[in-house]
Amino acid sequence: MSDTYRVPPPIPTLSVRPAPAPPPEPLGTRPEERELITGPIAAVEAILRQPRRVMYQVRQPGPGRLILRMVCIVIFCSLVYGVVVGTFSNGVQLWAAPAKIAGGLLITALICLPSLYIFTCLSGSQARLAEICGLLAGMLLLSTLLLIGFAPVAWLFSQSTESVTWMGALHLLFWFIATAFGLRFFANAYAHSQARSQVGLNTWMCIFVLVAVQMTTALRPIVGTAKTFLPQEKKFFLAHWGDCLKPLTQDSPTPALTR
Amino acid sequence: MHPFPAHLKSVDYFLRAEPEGLGAWLVRRDSRLIWFCILAVVVGAAPYGAVMGCWWSPLQGLYVAIKLPLLVLLTSLGNGLLNGMLAPLLGLNITFRQSLTAVLVSFAYAALVLGAFSPVGLFIVWNTPPPSLATEPSSPAYALMQLTLVVFIAFAGVVGNLRLLPLLRQLAGKRSVARKVLFAWLAGNLFLGSQICWVLRPFIWGGHPVSFIGSHPFQGNFYETVFSALRRVLF
Repeated sequence: MSDTYRVPPPIPTLSVRPAPAPPPEPLGTRPEERELITGPIAAVEAILRQPRRVMYQVRQPGPGRLILRMVCIVIFCSLVYGVVVGTFSNGVQLWAAPAKIAGGLLITALICLPSLYIFTCLSGSQARLAEICGLLAGMLLLSTLLLIGFAPVAWLFSQSTESVTWMGALHLLFWFIATAFGLRFFANAYAHSQARSQVGLNTWMCIFVLVAVQMTTALRPIVGTAKTFLPQEKKFFLAHWGDCLKPLTQDSPTPALTR
Repeated sequence: MHPFPAHLKSVDYFLRAEPEGLGAWLVRRDSRLIWFCILAVVVGAAPYGAVMGCWWSPLQGLYVAIKLPLLVLLTSLGNGLLNGMLAPLLGLNITFRQSLTAVLVSFAYAALVLGAFSPVGLFIVWNTPPPSLATEPSSPAYALMQLTLVVFIAFAGVVGNLRLLPLLRQLAGKRSVARKVLFAWLAGNLFLGSQICWVLRPFIWGGHPVSFIGSHPFQGNFYETVFSALRRVLF
């Protein structure tokens, strides 16, 4: 009988490293992606069904016309959704809400554009400023188109409730969903720009959402009514939301929070 | 090719259809499937609506026979644009018409199942004491009616979606895409459908003289009411 101590064989360790994600298929490899986007309907169709076509077109020389076309559709769609938002309070809000939504969206994009470009360059991306502008316009186009899709639902709810808080929360929910799809489009396009990391883009996305949400507070009231077109008091959006939510824990809503 | 039969006797053909056959109908630019689905919704949901309403009064039965198919069709149309946008964004590249038809197909299945449940529903209504002046929202008879009829609707909805999923899978080619699209459509339809239902109330009993729509159809909304009820329970 041997008392030799047998060393058990080492437990096989699996040096499992996740396989690197395959590089995305280069833009323009499919013939349909190289087709020019000639009109507004084509732009809408392309952003919904062939987003790679938009990504490819905005990186070609002279994307100005396409960008302008997309911005025009963004303004149109946000005005239409704004009218739907305005039907909650009617009166002045029928023109004030569309103006604030369209204006606020464009100002948000303009405010965030420089930081987007800087973050893009810092990430090693090869995207030019025109391409970044085009992708931002595409992102806004997709978001506002989805808002139009939500418009019938928003209209029905706006006719059924008196609560500004409820309607505000519903519009914010719709905006968050629409923006999530828009940002996903942007992230997919960004993957083609040879950026070393996504950290800069993710940071920018957070900044964009925060600016947009603060814009809704800075331009209030968008849903309810007030004596002045713009607020007299400066507020952070969290403080404003807190003020809006307070009456919900009381039994009767305060007059300011009903239409 | 899976030809679409021209006559209504094809209900059983529709009910037995394989996803491949349904997919082939869906892809064709043929409005007959849409009209068939609308007819199926009306023929299936109207009798069930009549059963729901007749517990209160025969006139209410007539009203709900109109309102229930209307609810289904308004939900499909109201979300048609959104559903058509969400499908390609989630990876299912179908047209607006195709997405609307797919939703209608699922509603048609649900409506036909509801139609088939109508005799059972009628039996339950027959055996339940009718509402009287003493009936209250908390009455056991009313609660039983609500519960039974809602269980049937939920079951029909599940069947409709179980038939829609393979169709979406066949169109998308990917299980995950089909699931995502189905979930997005379901969430949207449930969200809008419950509010349309709220506007078109009452369906079973309203506690006031019979009317097509209640006195304040646009007062409040479904979710606000649920939230208020939760707040009352919790705080």
